[in-house]
Amino acid sequence: MKAWLPPLLTDRLIRLAWLLPLAAVGLFTLISLAPIDPVQAYVGGRTSQIGPEQRDAIAAAWGLDRPAPERFASWLGQLTRGNLGESITFNAPVLQVIAARLPASLALVGLAFALSFVLGTALGLVAGATRGGWPDRVIRTLAVVLAASPGFWVAILLVAVFAIGLGWLPACCATPPGQLATEVTLAERWRHMVLPVATLSVVGIAPLVLHTRQSLVAFLDSPAARHLSTHGATPLRLAFGPGLRHAAGVALTLHLAGAGELFGGSILAEAVFAWPGLGQATVRAATGADAPLLMGIGLATLLFVFMGNLLADIAARLADPRLRTPA
Amino acid sequence: MFRPLSTLAVALSLMLTAQAEARPLVLAIGGEPDAGFDPIMGWGHYGNPLFQSTLLRTDADLNLVGDLATDWALSEDGLVWRLRLRKDAMFSDGTPLTAKDVAFTYNTARTAGGLADLTVLKEARALDATTVELELTEPRITFVSRLATLGIVPAASYGEGYARHPVGSGPFRMVEWREGEQLVVEPNPHWHGGEIAFERVSFIFGSEEAGQALARTGAADLVAVPPSLADGAPSGMKVLHVDTVDNRGLAFPMVPRAGETTEAGTPIGNDVTADPAIRVAINQALDREALVALALNGHGRPATGPADGLPWDNPEAAIPGNDPATAMQTLDAAGWSDTDGDGIREKDGLPARFQVLYPASDSTRQALALGASEQLREIGIDAQPTGSSWDEIGALMHSEVVVLGWGAHDPSEVFYLHHGDYAGVDYYNTGHYVNPTVDAHLEAAEAAPSFEASLAEWKAAAWDGETGFGPKGDATWAWMVNLEHAYWASDCLDLGPLQVHPHGHGFPITHDLPSWRWTCE
Repeated sequence: MKAWLPPLLTDRLIRLAWLLPLAAVGLFTLISLAPIDPVQAYVGGRTSQIGPEQRDAIAAAWGLDRPAPERFASWLGQLTRGNLGESITFNAPVLQVIAARLPASLALVGLAFALSFVLGTALGLVAGATRGGWPDRVIRTLAVVLAASPGFWVAILLVAVFAIGLGWLPACCATPPGQLATEVTLAERWRHMVLPVATLSVVGIAPLVLHTRQSLVAFLDSPAARHLSTHGATPLRLAFGPGLRHAAGVALTLHLAGAGELFGGSILAEAVFAWPGLGQATVRAATGADAPLLMGIGLATLLFVFMGNLLADIAARLADPRLRTPA
Repeated sequence: MFRPLSTLAVALSLMLTAQAEARPLVLAIGGEPDAGFDPIMGWGHYGNPLFQSTLLRTDADLNLVGDLATDWALSEDGLVWRLRLRKDAMFSDGTPLTAKDVAFTYNTARTAGGLADLTVLKEARALDATTVELELTEPRITFVSRLATLGIVPAASYGEGYARHPVGSGPFRMVEWREGEQLVVEPNPHWHGGEIAFERVSFIFGSEEAGQALARTGAADLVAVPPSLADGAPSGMKVLHVDTVDNRGLAFPMVPRAGETTEAGTPIGNDVTADPAIRVAINQALDREALVALALNGHGRPATGPADGLPWDNPEAAIPGNDPATAMQTLDAAGWSDTDGDGIREKDGLPARFQVLYPASDSTRQALALGASEQLREIGIDAQPTGSSWDEIGALMHSEVVVLGWGAHDPSEVFYLHHGDYAGVDYYNTGHYVNPTVDAHLEAAEAAPSFEASLAEWKAAAWDGETGFGPKGDATWAWMVNLEHAYWASDCLDLGPLQVHPHGHGFPITHDLPSWRWTCE
């Protein structure tokens, strides 16, 4: 019986109930304190065409002339009716802006998540099994180098080599230029995904490799593993057999808990590859001090990270029965 | 004999030519309107509005010509525009465009709180199907720019969602807009303006680097590039340098520091630049050709006013510069001399010293600030280049010199920059400049009975023989350079004559997109 599940969910829901309002207030305070004038950001390069009276009209139309607490209150009021407000940057409901861009981002983050999990765990197991040998040293060095490389830098490097240098893969965008969505083949879509997904995977892979390696090493040193190995089991067989079961739980927990980082990394990757996802919208919202949109994206990200952590907790309990006793 | 390789080659070449014929025009010039294609919220200000058409339009020499309007006249009191519309204009959904649509567009835009400034409009009225009257609250001749920029929307179908599914009487209709990615349009069969040479035009958005990568792989036909990269066009493309009034200059604080502050509590005034001799000497000393070479890689032209070469520019007001000898005479005559031998002039114990602020993120403005500073040191003025953020510049721009940039196809900018009413308002008249004669000229220009008649007053505001805001008069600015906007264009693409571009690189080049031609087979 999964008697441990209901208490866990209740506990997390209570946590969410105070976390969401806290995050909303915090976010709104930060945005209000940001030294960006939303009207000036909206007018942008058209300063010479928009007179002071029209600026006042813009501020009034978007409610930007009211004091911050009042704006927050009216935003909250809308929220209770299921409305996240209107984005000044996109002149559209926040929900619509997010819904239009979320699929592209989720595809990117989801694929990168799966790829980095498989690759990271496998590399970690190989490194642990060949502890001290050359594969271990190569993989560990790689992991440390990747951990120290900023995502955008990796992206630029990949573009320079595979897109400009070798010409194998497209340098940008989600589809080839000049084609309608209905004309783009599935193969083309996959081709355009390779570099962004690779970039994003690299962001999450390093800690996974090192942690998996460590938990496998611990298992290999355990009496159970020694017993099996005296009976002729090779380290590699141990690693991908019982060792995988030991390490996978930890790896999955770690990976799910790190989903937020992946989401953050996608903002940078989307900027470099001109990927039409939520990342681009986030940057526009931030530079335009577009409070409703930024709050919408912020809260959506919070839910995303929260779900990641919750899934991590559940996965950990499924993998390791010892955690199931309520704390 | 069967030769697989050559068969393959033939098949491949067939595929390639087939692709080349159907290949749309692909432009990577940025300019994606985040808020969509709604003229009422401000779409279509620069470049071609694509989906809508305007009452008037400007030709390559910036003269006003009719588009939807066949003739137009301003009443003698300057308050009522009466325009007659063409009868053959249709929206892309096949419905006719009438005066009702025009009145609806103007009245809606007036109160929408978007990026179309119609605050001076009192009311728009449709007199009959093809006659429309626009009544203003006060005479303002620059309202004519709105006639040439505000696209007309259909009164019957305008509403929620218009911005993302626009219907208009313009040269194109929307096929697909994938936000953040690309816009695909095709010719509007109902358009009144003639044939368009392309069966499809795609606008690729995303980063500047992405556009360059597309050009290098031959996937784009026109790409906006930064001037520093312009000379390295890939094969099959030519470099296009477009003249602009996208200008940069030094904006001077015009009043002495008298302890006054702005509403935000930031200081107003600077005792050094408040002396006209300092401002005139700077205008006389600056070697603008050298600044173009230094800061713009040679891709630009010297600037002497806010609207160089536009119809309302007054070349008489200019001081060409690069004359340090005269500049030093000006300073000597005004009592600025180097008494303590440190290379910097003083007057009554006040050294000729001020900061030149520029946004640290803008390398062009940085180079201009550093270059100007070097040149001014030669005449004994210590202009200290200071990189800063826009926030800090906003706080200091009323008391220190700032490298600012403007440039629009609309003389109302000249009004905002120099009229006393705009002293300290936003970024307009940062120096708190007030000259009643200049104000009177600017007001007379706005009150002129026709745009042509207003030109003389705009020019007189810069220099009327005795005074003016220009360098020969009060020298409110020391203009330095006009940028050039650079593009890579396919060798096969003929863009025809190009306008002088305004502030803003990229989309303005589409102004005459419907008349572009493809010259290759």
